[in-house]
Amino acid sequence: MSAGGSGGGANAAYPPQTIMAIGAVGGLAGIYLGHFLPPMFSFFGGLGAICAIVWGADAVRRVASYGLGTGVPSIGMIALGMGIVAALFGLSVGGIAGPIVSFVAAAIIGAVIGVLANKVIGMGIPIMEQAMVEIAGAGTLAIIGLSVVIAGEFTYGAVIENVVANGYIALIFIIGGMGILHPFNANLGPDEKQDRTLSVAVEKAAIALIITGFASSLHEGLMAAGLNIAVGLVIWTVAFMKYYGFVKRDAHSVVGTGLLPSAEELQ
Amino acid sequence: MIDALLDNIVSMIYIILGGVLISWSVHFVPVGGAPAAMAQATGIGTGTVQLAAGAGLTGLVSAGFMMNVTDNLPLILASGAVGAMIMIAVTMIVGTWVYVYGVGCVPSSAKVKVDPITKYRQDLYVSQGTEGHGLPTVSFVSGVIGGLLGGIGGALVYYALIEVGLKAGLTAGTSSSVTGHELVGIAAMFAIGIFFVNAVIPSYNIGGTIEGFHDPKWKKWPKAVISSFVATILCAVVAVIAISQLGVI
Repeated sequence: MSAGGSGGGANAAYPPQTIMAIGAVGGLAGIYLGHFLPPMFSFFGGLGAICAIVWGADAVRRVASYGLGTGVPSIGMIALGMGIVAALFGLSVGGIAGPIVSFVAAAIIGAVIGVLANKVIGMGIPIMEQAMVEIAGAGTLAIIGLSVVIAGEFTYGAVIENVVANGYIALIFIIGGMGILHPFNANLGPDEKQDRTLSVAVEKAAIALIITGFASSLHEGLMAAGLNIAVGLVIWTVAFMKYYGFVKRDAHSVVGTGLLPSAEELQ
Repeated sequence: MIDALLDNIVSMIYIILGGVLISWSVHFVPVGGAPAAMAQATGIGTGTVQLAAGAGLTGLVSAGFMMNVTDNLPLILASGAVGAMIMIAVTMIVGTWVYVYGVGCVPSSAKVKVDPITKYRQDLYVSQGTEGHGLPTVSFVSGVIGGLLGGIGGALVYYALIEVGLKAGLTAGTSSSVTGHELVGIAAMFAIGIFFVNAVIPSYNIGGTIEGFHDPKWKKWPKAVISSFVATILCAVVAVIAISQLGVI
């Protein structure tokens, strides 16, 4: 669960259904584990967020390959825009089923925006509706997962007090959005490979876990924060080494250029 | 839940109106995207979302600042509008300096033969192989109008969300403790969420770049406004319920 989509066979492309299952099931499982286990184990929320971010990045990858007409970041921002609205709504009315209600609300908002984008605006991207549902769902789970890391639970009162009222929600908004929009934005091009893109998603999500780990020290104490940061660092290291491996695999060749020539050498 | 929606029907109308204004405002902002960053298209060299967010969120902050001292809606809207207009105008003037003195190109539009405001010829100054460059006067004026509309829209959304919270029995900004600003926090986040949704929808409508109200693409605005109208209704319902629930816990 923790590694999201980064592991496995090097060249095999993961079908969308697999990533979707990892994101939705892994995301919700992580959120609920982080909620029910003691605050010490709030990093499970972060693991859920990693699954969700990998899912979101894969959905962005599929839809943005069609060409959005504008930059890839826009779709990451709309993901988190829909996500934050749906997440807070679900937690406010859902009680213990909060994340699931949020997820369903996000899917509805995403579906409506997807239909509007294709039918009214006329973008003509065949998978737009499905991708918007996926991106909204992934954004919602990422926000709730990272909120669980900071607050230790997802009850509305706790999230409002420990995440929203002190402004950490803005941090979650941007780093969650980065995790979803950056992987494809950084890797796009004719030689884009799914495993390389998704390894960046895991790496970005691990950075999100590390940063929310720092933020969690305010409410959960240094021990829990330290554990969050440690888990994040381990995942980041593994994912970054994997990414570096993929870059070396996909590059024509990797050569050292040496230092810049000095003034004498140039003459 | 239904009671909360019926009680706050005016606030919901404000939110929807704000969302529609934001969506319309994006069509006025001269967005050049990546080509403009290389001085190959007219406009500011970054994406719609970044520009709309920059101007809109500045509007939100200046509106919130005004809310500290008054609850007079026109004053709050004016403050939000001025904040967003200053932000977008500063971005455009500094961008123009870079294009003129840094890149060394004449601000010119490739979409019109003469600037509708200054009546200066444009087509003679457009470099070959580019879609214009820099920010001609008409784009600048259009961008300031965009800031005005976006700032009013953002301020309207934020004001309405705060009103919903006040009705639910919360207080805004009176407590000085770190955890005392639940309403401000949640209203700001919902306003930002609604803002981003309504900034991205029109950016898909214009295909990433637009020069301003003289651009032929500008006439496509009803499509984006209709889409934003529907999307904002959903967001408004969800936001009003979530903030009303804050008074229950």
